[in-house]
Amino acid sequence: MFSTSSQRKFWTFVDETELARLREKHNLNYIAKHGTHIDEYQRYNFFLSPDEERLLLKQYELHLKDFCKRFSPPMPKGVVGTAFHYFKRFYLYNSTMDYHPKEILATCVYLACKVEEFNVSIGQFVANIKGDRDKASDIILNNELLLMQQLNYHLTIHNPFRPVEGFLIDIKTRCSLANPERLRGGIDEFLDKVFLTDACLLYAPSQIALAAVLHAASKEQENLDSYVTDMLFRDAGQDKLAILIEAVRKIRSLVKMVESPAREKVRLIEKKLDRCRNQENNPDSEIYKRRMRELLDEDDLPHTGSGRMSLDTSGVSQVLSPSAS
Amino acid sequence: MDDQACPRCKTTKYRNPSLKLMVNVCGHALCESCVDLLFLKGSGSCPDCNVPLRRSNFRVQLFEDPMVEKEIDIRKRVLKDYNKKEEDFASLREYNDYLEEIETIVYNLTNNIDIVGTNKRIEQYKKDNKEIIMKNKAKIGREEVELEEILEIEKQMEELRRAEINRLEQEAKKQKIREKEALIDELMFAEGDAKDILNTFAQNKASKQEDVLPALPKVTQFSTGVKFTRVSAQQALPLIEEGPLYKYEPPAVYDRCGPEPPSIEDIVGCGYLKHVRAENETEKAGGYNSTLPCLRALQDALAGLYHAS
Repeated sequence: MFSTSSQRKFWTFVDETELARLREKHNLNYIAKHGTHIDEYQRYNFFLSPDEERLLLKQYELHLKDFCKRFSPPMPKGVVGTAFHYFKRFYLYNSTMDYHPKEILATCVYLACKVEEFNVSIGQFVANIKGDRDKASDIILNNELLLMQQLNYHLTIHNPFRPVEGFLIDIKTRCSLANPERLRGGIDEFLDKVFLTDACLLYAPSQIALAAVLHAASKEQENLDSYVTDMLFRDAGQDKLAILIEAVRKIRSLVKMVESPAREKVRLIEKKLDRCRNQENNPDSEIYKRRMRELLDEDDLPHTGSGRMSLDTSGVSQVLSPSAS
Repeated sequence: MDDQACPRCKTTKYRNPSLKLMVNVCGHALCESCVDLLFLKGSGSCPDCNVPLRRSNFRVQLFEDPMVEKEIDIRKRVLKDYNKKEEDFASLREYNDYLEEIETIVYNLTNNIDIVGTNKRIEQYKKDNKEIIMKNKAKIGREEVELEEILEIEKQMEELRRAEINRLEQEAKKQKIREKEALIDELMFAEGDAKDILNTFAQNKASKQEDVLPALPKVTQFSTGVKFTRVSAQQALPLIEEGPLYKYEPPAVYDRCGPEPPSIEDIVGCGYLKHVRAENETEKAGGYNSTLPCLRALQDALAGLYHAS
């Protein structure tokens, strides 16, 4: 149940400014940590700004959607939703410069497959990835534990898909709306876009689902307002209804504002990222390879340390004490 | 014994001292070599009465009269089913009637009197007393196991006792040798009278034997005090202390943060199920029921609707 979930307690935030604040914080942290040898003015040119990171992530969310759509065997919707949640949560407390989004993207989808009980082996999984598959499976498995840690092991995700089914059943039973099944097209389209916004970090899945249903209804020139006010919120006070109406309005406006980032801009950002990313976490870099070799040699000796990756502990401490919504 | 002969090849005990007569369920004897010859294929019919027989059922004839063997076989077979005990009957008279009946059946079968009728009687009895037969069979099995256990324990005890006796004997032997040596030493080196020395040693020996003797009864006590593990396990039923009784408390209902979802009764009663895929036969067999998923979808839809940031 959402109301008692870790999703509500730790991962649903007050508003967009809070999200922006968190994102800016880890951006500044990264620059402060890795930019000591560069002067103030150069820093701006060398590192990504929070806005640039945001743009980059939006691009990668589109990639994530495409990847899941083209995935074979076909993926259930729940896996996609869960993967989106993981991806967004991870980058609330981590910088794209620390962990490249293309690596985290694949790991998120892989972990989501497991959590949502969509059984694919790592071999089957990397068959959907272009390029060096052995390297890809190495990266995914290396990052999996890191990802779980950064999610603070809050792996259960409440997606809006089941609530949508619930609303449709309820509407069919209690409402006189003709052929509610025709809403499905609009709902699916809406939910597709919702995951490109921050709505799932701000609102309850049932609110998102209701927004989707209402949006689809208005597209079909139907009006379900009386269903919401007379059936769902009959016993609730006006204040609760007002909050819901505001939430639905906000979710719909978020979805309306979705636009894919300009290709040219993203390419520039990616180039910039290649220079400023944390080489310790880049599987192609010399530093990374040397460290892995050392770890491999060390495996014979007893050692106390984190596993394969040096983990950004500052991020963890943030996760452990997020501001409650 | 001399006129013991195989009815088929006419070999006698006199001519072939190693002659072994074998007998099967029909009660007609055959010598071992004839059995080998006739039942090469494993089964065949008796040369005397043409009853089909199996080679594996042949066994060495223990009694001179083959009819006795036949009776033993039949009795064994009949008693397998007629396994009631005295305590299964209300009165001694009934029990005696029952025994009489068994004897009649056995006699009839052995002497080929009304075999069809008798067999029918057995079948009827079997059908009527199926439960008692099964029960008694199990009981007999259990008694056999217990008996075996007792035998096993006694065997162990016997072994223990023997080992103990052996040990004691050896010890006694050693002791004797030691005493002898001590006596000789004493006689060689002591300055006293040889007679005195012999006397004191004899006295010592007598007193020592008294010491040894009491040890023996312990051994015998060991062998008689047979304990049945099963019996002792039944006696020592552990007492269970009863704590406070379990009291059911309904689980706390969490704040759903949304409108109250319909109950299961509402889902069934208000027609929600018309809009859900009904479970098919296979799913029903597995315990699946479309009510719960429907309830879950509705709960999920309504939970969190009041959520406010």
